[in-house]
Amino acid sequence: MTDELRLERVIDAPPETVFEAFTTYEGQVAFYGSDDPGWIVESQCDLRVGGLWTVTFGPSPDHLYQHRSVFAVIDRPRRIVLATTERRPDRPSFDFSVEFTFAEQDGRTLMTVIQSGFPTRELRDEHGRGVPNAFARLERAIRAST
Amino acid sequence: MHRSVQHNETLDRTFFALSDPTRRGILERLARGPATIGQLAEPFGLTLNGLKKHVGILENVDLVVTEKVGRARECRLGPAQLENATGWIDGHRRELERRLDRFGAFVEERR
Repeated sequence: MTDELRLERVIDAPPETVFEAFTTYEGQVAFYGSDDPGWIVESQCDLRVGGLWTVTFGPSPDHLYQHRSVFAVIDRPRRIVLATTERRPDRPSFDFSVEFTFAEQDGRTLMTVIQSGFPTRELRDEHGRGVPNAFARLERAIRAST
Repeated sequence: MHRSVQHNETLDRTFFALSDPTRRGILERLARGPATIGQLAEPFGLTLNGLKKHVGILENVDLVVTEKVGRARECRLGPAQLENATGWIDGHRRELERRLDRFGAFVEERR
């Protein structure tokens, strides 16, 4: 059992290219962007261990989200680990960890994102101990995303 | 907009209600069947008032419902709205998927 979200994509470019793109302004803006007209995205990145990466994004100036991350690990071109605080207009801010890995696969890159440390651990740990069905649903939702 | 704020307040209160081991213990106990405040208080070594406070927090988010039965108050599991919590996680997953799709397309177009 895990409280992490894990997602993968194969990108048709070698890890060096993908890693490089992810650490440029354009790549970060693509990651946090949207096709919605008027979508706002701004990124400021100090790419070094202990450095701060701040991304502000959202549909309008009065509805903005922010990810404020500190680089914990930078292992070019394989891995990045961040400690992130998310601020949202609709709920209190919260912290989580994000790990990006870039693995070579026949000249392409398997990019994996793992988010962990959500405030759901308490909920998940109750699964299997006879607590309401809802815990099982929560567990399935987490498992379905891993 | 007000509706979505309200929805998230329920979510915050649900997470808060579940963040305490005593309250999770109460839910575990009630999953096996109804119990009175007194029956619940004993194994936790809590006073009746201390336990009532925890039950009140669970009751506020519909995780527990209570009913007066004779001289005692009986507690049962409520129609818990944990879909909120599940939906919140699903929303996060969808956001991440969308970001990876966009970023992948960006890198591939740029080559």
